[in-house]
Amino acid sequence: MLRFVVRRLLLLLPILIGLSILVFGWIRALPGDPAIALLGERATPARLALIRKQLGIDKPVYVQYFRYVKRIGGGDFGQSVRTRRPVVTEFREKFPATIELALAAMVVSIGLGVPLGFIAAKRYGGPVDHASLVASLLGISIPVFFLAIILKYVFAVKLGWLPTVGRNSPLISAEHPTKFYVLDGIVTGNLEAFVDALKHLVLPAIALGSIPLAVIARITRAAVLDVQNEDYVRTARAKGVSPYRVDTRHVLRNALLPITTIIGLQTGLLLSGAVLTETVFAWPGMGTWLVDAIRNRDYPVLQGGILFVAIVFVLVNLVVDISYGLINPRIRVS
Amino acid sequence: MSVAEAESRELQLEAPSGLWREAWARLRRNPGAITGFALVLLFVIVAVFAPWIAPHGPLDKGLGVGGHLLSERPSAAHPFGLDQLGRDQLSRVIYGARYSLLIGVVSVAVGLSVGLFLGAIAGYLSGIVDTLVMRAMDIMLAIPGLLLAIGIVAVLGPGIGQIMIAVGVTQIPIFARLLRGSILAQKENDFVLAARAVGVPRRTILASHILPNAISPVIVQGTLALATAIIDVAGLGFLGLGPQNPSTPEWGTMLTETTRFLQTAPYLALIPGAAIVVSVLGFNLIGDGLREALDPKLRGRI
Repeated sequence: MLRFVVRRLLLLLPILIGLSILVFGWIRALPGDPAIALLGERATPARLALIRKQLGIDKPVYVQYFRYVKRIGGGDFGQSVRTRRPVVTEFREKFPATIELALAAMVVSIGLGVPLGFIAAKRYGGPVDHASLVASLLGISIPVFFLAIILKYVFAVKLGWLPTVGRNSPLISAEHPTKFYVLDGIVTGNLEAFVDALKHLVLPAIALGSIPLAVIARITRAAVLDVQNEDYVRTARAKGVSPYRVDTRHVLRNALLPITTIIGLQTGLLLSGAVLTETVFAWPGMGTWLVDAIRNRDYPVLQGGILFVAIVFVLVNLVVDISYGLINPRIRVS
Repeated sequence: MSVAEAESRELQLEAPSGLWREAWARLRRNPGAITGFALVLLFVIVAVFAPWIAPHGPLDKGLGVGGHLLSERPSAAHPFGLDQLGRDQLSRVIYGARYSLLIGVVSVAVGLSVGLFLGAIAGYLSGIVDTLVMRAMDIMLAIPGLLLAIGIVAVLGPGIGQIMIAVGVTQIPIFARLLRGSILAQKENDFVLAARAVGVPRRTILASHILPNAISPVIVQGTLALATAIIDVAGLGFLGLGPQNPSTPEWGTMLTETTRFLQTAPYLALIPGAAIVVSVLGFNLIGDGLREALDPKLRGRI
């Protein structure tokens, strides 16, 4: 198992190098001359040349690339053009918000998707099965932001059950040691803040979780149908193993493999969807941060943000691969 | 001619059309796929004949009776209401079908053609080309789709043409991977070995023996990609990266506008959103139907 993990970590290296080349090339392709951006249109050629020398953009491309990697490796992502604060500091503030939202969406999608798919497979061909197929098809066809708008209108604007925007109410005083507001409520023992944070989380999490929910339900159903007819399941039943035990130990455990893969693949969609969901609910996370960066042409934020998200995504896939190895011993050896 | 030879000749004659004819027969019996075709047909008809179907022009302002903007509720004359400039929302959505259809088709065409080219050379040439191309695809896949598209729009600037390219580029690695995998599977077949043995040039083997057999998963993916493209384009439009002229009736952009009036005129969000759902659902249904039709093993499973 250790060898498998080490090998998988080594495979990460070329991806990270490739990613840095891609992002570096992209930065150079962005419109606008950084020297002019700093000094303004009316700068003299001499001053422009000086600032280019200071920025190092008069050097050959490969020298610039290595400087870039060195800078990034040292944790220097520059500062936001708009707020003049380091990109890393802003990232540390925004990142937990998005992770909290994404995790909540995952809880919604796995918590509902797996049982739903399982029940549909058990009642294969019946009305429950058909209903869940139709629902999951609708689920993958509704754009996240449209669902978010509907949920926001019905449950926040019309019924007023839940808040419309943000992560917490400004009126409730709360401390945030972990920056995960729901967790903060538990840690600090502040029940009011906990309930408040949870209320703000519900609608965005359902909106964001809808697509993975539909996909996970479909895949679970397909996987359970596949496994159900395996010889070992029949053997287990013939031996007189209780139906509950057959379902959990023999069927679900083996059906878990394709489900894990899909959950890993959904992470990318989740991060994409988070950008849109956060926009609808004004959730102060990575999504709104990046969208604002585009609107303000805040390129340092955009560069840092996209690189951060890509690295997070790569790491999540690493975790999925490793857990894959844990579930399926065959993968470890091959 | 021996019996075996005659049989094999007959098989060869029937094989190419057989798969498709059989698939079509299966597709016709699939109610989901038929619904999908109907929805897509509706979408295409609305897009093509928009000027004849729409009761008003997409840019006609001030159609309301009273002077107040947004004062008019949905009525028989304007079943889905008037937007903040007094434009008929239904007409705008009907014209918007043209943009969505065009953007969807063009962006998938971009992703498909580049992806197929890369996948074909990677799968067929293998070796260093394969490694280089596929590692590059891995790296592209390391950035979540919408963010990659946002990054590309940041370089190209916002606009309709730009989001078509951006969404197309995000689809390249999917097609490249798919075709490469499919080609690798086909390469092992005996008929490829036979063609090579009799001296058929590599390019001809790829074009007339491997590609036609490797293409069916690509067609399925292409249909599903149209659905994704429409959603992604609407998403970019929703983020304000779409057409820069705000009067362009693009569905995603229209939804952004409506969020501002969710308190007073929630009905405005309904029809652009429903239009996206219906067109996306149509392509998803066809894609699913095709997948089942082309791969009988999957029937009723996914």
